[in-house]
Amino acid sequence: MKNILFATLVAMSLALAPFQAQAAKGTLTIVTSYPKDTTGTFKAAFEKKYPNVKVEMLKKKTTAGIKYLQETAGNNTADMFWASAPDAFEVLKGDDLLIKYQVKVKGIPEKVGAFPINDPDGYYKGFAASGYGIMWNTRYLKAKKLPAPAEWSDLKNPVYHGHVGMSAPSRSGTTHLTVETLLQGEGWEKGWAEWKAIAGNFKTVTERSFGVPDGVNSGQFGVGIVIDFFGLSSQASGFPVEYRYPTVTTLVPANIALVKNGPNPEAAGAFIEFLLSPEGQELLLDPKIRRLPVNPATYAKAPADFPNPFKDSSIGSAVKFDLALSKGRYNVVNSLFDVMITYRLDDLRDATKAIHDAEAAMAGKPNDKAADLIAQAKALINQVPVDAATASKKEFNAIFKKKRKKAATKVEGRQAEIEQEWDTMVKDNYARAKSLAEQAKSIL
Amino acid sequence: MTSTDTTAAGVDIENLNVSFGDTHVLKGANLSIEPGEFFAFLGPSGSGKSTLLRAIAGFGPTPTGRILIGGEEVAHLPPWKRNVGMVFQSYALWPHMTVRRNVAFGLEERKLPKREIARRVDISLEMVGLVDLAERRPAQLSGGQQQRIALARTLVVEPRVLLLDEPLSNLDANLRIQMRRELRELQQKLQLTTIFVTHDQEEANTTSDRMAVLNDGIIQQVGTPMELYDNPANLFVATFLGTANVLTGVVEDTDNGAQFGSSNCAPIPLDTEERGPRSLVFRPQNIAIAPANAPVASDRVRIDGTVSHTEFLGSIIRYGVSVGADTALVDDQHRRGAPVFAIGDEVSLFLQQDQITMLKD
Amino acid sequence: MASVLTPGQRGPAVAGGLIALFLIFFLAVPMVQVVVVAFQDPNTGALTLINFVDFFRTSLFQESFINSFYVAAMSVVLSSFFALPLAYFTTRFNFGGALLIQTLGIIPLIMPPFVGAVAMALLFGTNGSVNLLLDEWFGFTIPFMEGLNGVIFVESIHYFPFILINLSAALNNIDRAMEESAQNLGASGTRLFRRIVFPLAMPGYVAGAALVFIKVFDDLGTPLLLNINNMLAPQAYLRITSIGISDPMGYVISVILVAFSLLSLWVSLLALRGKDYATVQKGGGGLVRRDLRNWEKNGCYAVVILILLLVLSPHLGLLLLSFGTIWSFSVLPDGYTIGHYVTVFSEASGYITNTLLYAGLAALFDVIIGTGIAYVVWRTGLPGRKWLDYGATAALAVPGVVIGIGYLRTYHGFNVPIVDQPLASWWVIIVVALTIRRLPYALRACVAALQQVSVTLEEAAENLGATKGRSVWRIVVPLMSGGILAGFVTSFATASVELSATLMLVAVDSDAPLAYGIYEFMQSAAGRGPGAALGVIGVVFVGLGTYISHRIIERGRVTRESTAIVAEGAFA
Repeated sequence: MKNILFATLVAMSLALAPFQAQAAKGTLTIVTSYPKDTTGTFKAAFEKKYPNVKVEMLKKKTTAGIKYLQETAGNNTADMFWASAPDAFEVLKGDDLLIKYQVKVKGIPEKVGAFPINDPDGYYKGFAASGYGIMWNTRYLKAKKLPAPAEWSDLKNPVYHGHVGMSAPSRSGTTHLTVETLLQGEGWEKGWAEWKAIAGNFKTVTERSFGVPDGVNSGQFGVGIVIDFFGLSSQASGFPVEYRYPTVTTLVPANIALVKNGPNPEAAGAFIEFLLSPEGQELLLDPKIRRLPVNPATYAKAPADFPNPFKDSSIGSAVKFDLALSKGRYNVVNSLFDVMITYRLDDLRDATKAIHDAEAAMAGKPNDKAADLIAQAKALINQVPVDAATASKKEFNAIFKKKRKKAATKVEGRQAEIEQEWDTMVKDNYARAKSLAEQAKSIL
Repeated sequence: MTSTDTTAAGVDIENLNVSFGDTHVLKGANLSIEPGEFFAFLGPSGSGKSTLLRAIAGFGPTPTGRILIGGEEVAHLPPWKRNVGMVFQSYALWPHMTVRRNVAFGLEERKLPKREIARRVDISLEMVGLVDLAERRPAQLSGGQQQRIALARTLVVEPRVLLLDEPLSNLDANLRIQMRRELRELQQKLQLTTIFVTHDQEEANTTSDRMAVLNDGIIQQVGTPMELYDNPANLFVATFLGTANVLTGVVEDTDNGAQFGSSNCAPIPLDTEERGPRSLVFRPQNIAIAPANAPVASDRVRIDGTVSHTEFLGSIIRYGVSVGADTALVDDQHRRGAPVFAIGDEVSLFLQQDQITMLKD
Repeated sequence: MASVLTPGQRGPAVAGGLIALFLIFFLAVPMVQVVVVAFQDPNTGALTLINFVDFFRTSLFQESFINSFYVAAMSVVLSSFFALPLAYFTTRFNFGGALLIQTLGIIPLIMPPFVGAVAMALLFGTNGSVNLLLDEWFGFTIPFMEGLNGVIFVESIHYFPFILINLSAALNNIDRAMEESAQNLGASGTRLFRRIVFPLAMPGYVAGAALVFIKVFDDLGTPLLLNINNMLAPQAYLRITSIGISDPMGYVISVILVAFSLLSLWVSLLALRGKDYATVQKGGGGLVRRDLRNWEKNGCYAVVILILLLVLSPHLGLLLLSFGTIWSFSVLPDGYTIGHYVTVFSEASGYITNTLLYAGLAALFDVIIGTGIAYVVWRTGLPGRKWLDYGATAALAVPGVVIGIGYLRTYHGFNVPIVDQPLASWWVIIVVALTIRRLPYALRACVAALQQVSVTLEEAAENLGATKGRSVWRIVVPLMSGGILAGFVTSFATASVELSATLMLVAVDSDAPLAYGIYEFMQSAAGRGPGAALGVIGVVFVGLGTYISHRIIERGRVTRESTAIVAEGAFA
């Protein structure tokens, strides 16, 4: 009786088991961070063109995708990695988890904006461009009587205090690019000062990059710093939101690469070719996807208001992005942002508010002493625990990595130790800045 | 089911010890139960009598020592291989099965043919007179009915030995008397070796051929009910079986022969060879009560005392008589018009030497 | 070892051994694989405790620890406010709809990831419906969802059913005679409650409260979605999953989370020791249900409805979201549509069948293993048996992401024969993860059920020739069925919305369960409606399952109760 029951159960579960293609020829497994709208469209079109290939889209947040590929490398089942942030591909490349691929399709230029489209080493290929910008909820701004922002520097404006949202660079590769872009554009010290001035107005630092458009869409905060397709696709989905590129922005290619030892390299190659072919590029114009094609010819078919970075030089050409510099201090920048902003947001916000209040009180009645106090407060906030040179030092970066290439690399200190030092300084500075600003206000 | 189906088996217990962790609850029990015998384990709660019964059935901690059923060593066998039937105090009827399924269970486990099962279940239910209730669930039965079903369920598998764990304790007084008679009759009819655990000596007396009195994990005495009552081996048995008066003192040599001396009463001359510290045990009904200083016959012992309380119980009057610091209980036959002693009266108690049990402990 | 076993212990010993192997391979080994990093020097790889020293020296972690503790403790307090009236009214008074209330009270446990939080934000957020209305009418807003208080608010709504379930069960088990004898001795009203009813129900309350405390202490989803970083679980998660950074602190925090949860479990067990009155009592039918006067009844209903409205609001929000077109900075959605459901059924029905399969199998394994453990622990004298209980319960304290990474690390290199693919990317591994993660719930239900089955019922079967296995199968399991079912439902319901472990383990999209599907939908602006629709479908499935099994349990209780009354005479 029991045996029969068990057998029935096994049979039932087998019958119900999800279809398994068992790595047979014809299955292409792609680890991707892209939303269903994007993956679904490409999957359908690709499968239509190659009826013998079945595409499996394995949705992972970029960070989780990297972790997944790292953990499964010994017995890899994925063919491709498909995501935005070039840094993510750099990490995988560094771990020797990708293989080179030579593209056959013609017509893709070397650069979009100031950014090279493909990995100079030939491991990953750009298939679309994305730029960072600002999105806002029109109902929110109207209700709170706020102006629509245009430039990054607008977000420092006290009127936006508590209305801005962003993700953290350690959580989202594209956010990291935005942070790095400003740091390169303005310089290390000034760039961080800009970020802290903007972050002082943050309502929140979201854990997922999609948390930002989500928050703006639902009206949890009014303004978000997001990658373009989040803003554009939200708008296309009917939310009362708008999006624009600030002048200082960077266009970065969204990428795809073949994973080392993938089970189906032929299908993977076919997918890259398809992605870069005119018909694949055209799919990017779909309002639910809204990415900028890397083939300039495709823009001929785009709607009138579609931004064209190959023609409109205002998009993404203001900054020359130095990829090596970005790569060299990758983890330090992430960690610094978290220590100075993400984890101490409340303190930073309070200090910024105090400065705003003091400046408002000073408006119209100049007071040298107060101005001096405010300047001191700002300087305290702007202090960065690490200078640009140290941030790029190999030995220093090694502290933040588990895997060290050479045993010879000398490592002193542990991440937790260093972060604790930074945190002590940052927390103390914010508190002092707050009291200085309050002091300034009290004498006005 | 007929008596010839069942081969009565004897049960032998040899130096059996059971411990629950550090608690030693059965200490070196030795016992031999004859085939077809109705045997009772009698003792207060915590005496180890249920533990001993459960050990025979194979329940509880693994014992050391030997248990033989029909000469076969069973201590190493799991309960389901022993073929001893047990009726539980709570009956342990399965609430999710009908009466019929309950009774059929043991036969189903023995993989008997369906028709054979049905036949034997019917016979068994008939035997306990509850055929009509076969399709009910245990929850719909009265206590007495449940007990009969539990009995039918056990007997239907024709066990070598029947174990009854306080089977009557959950019934009301009238039903209890009726059931114990039925049990005895059934046992006689089936000639089935039966072990009966009870704390009620009347139950043990009326049903069993022999019994073992247990206390503190030790078998105190084994014998027929009357043997144990009349000749208890120790003070525990004496006091546990019926009411007993106990005087403690020392038997010493005097000029007039042996004499029992106690701080509580005047010396009592005794006709005995024994000497040393002793307890005198005697039953209330074996004492005659008379006004103080009544003459004493030669074969009798006189004890003087004062009436401290009286209870009129109908057929007898029970007097409490203070003898020094002890109190002796005396049962006096009551006849209409007979004189009655009052509290405070000085009285003499007489008892025959042969009604006195002298115990060492 | 075998020599010390009695013949009847061999079967359970084999079962216990198998369960122990399962726990070792799918809980202990993967966990050790992950947390070993916590004990390695980040520079040299040598074994060390320096990371723990760092942890206690770092002010951010100290703060996080205090915050986590504060949030967990306050959530217990707030949960008690929700749970006490519901439990008390429905068990103590003749109250129409008590069953419905009890069922609705469990629904909050089934909060689908992401969509639940979005719905909460739309209702209670800074610019959610409630605050928009408050601002319009009275010119002020209440920061329900801000900072630690927001976490407490959301966690309490989510987890209070643990207290409700355990407290109700305890109140139901109080022997009527206990209350009556107290009344007989002159106690009544609040005195009766304070001195008799509450102390007797205390074990149930403490068990529920401990569960709430641990779940909140370990919970990752809620703080992350409210973007609260300075608590332990999010700190661990952020540090484990950041790109490139392999900070051992994430694993150190995981170890500390596990250790602290085990400590809380242990403390609650200590507090309960010798106070498990349920076994002393006969479980005779629960308290006498009093009739309420009209005004009392209205008052009680008002309180109950208010609480239910509050705790079910995320689900109401979810429902609105699933039918709404655009809902942005407004009290209600702009319009309504069934389009999202059409999308879900046409595109995503695979998620639903996968979920039913995975959660169903996981819950089935849970009750089988749970029954096995309960039996071995409570009905055999096997050495080391308690460790099965501890081991399975410890799963409560292991973060899902640790299990997910641990499985990948341990089993990706192991190819399953026949299907020929890595165990870690075979769909069965998801079932295993869910089984491990939900085992503690099923185990507690099975233990409670087993304790209500008198051991003599089993002995009677063995005495009549049934082997140990046969008596368990024919007598013990059928009599435990109510509790087993309850365990099944709890496991099933919570497994069907589990995300943290599955997110790591889903290897192909066609294997993905519902929670993963919701996650996927919720990554795009257009996916919010379908995601909510998928969430609603999940809640409806699980809610129906819960209600049906409640009915079955209730029916079983009626038959058992009549037995209990007869048995009451029996034990007198």
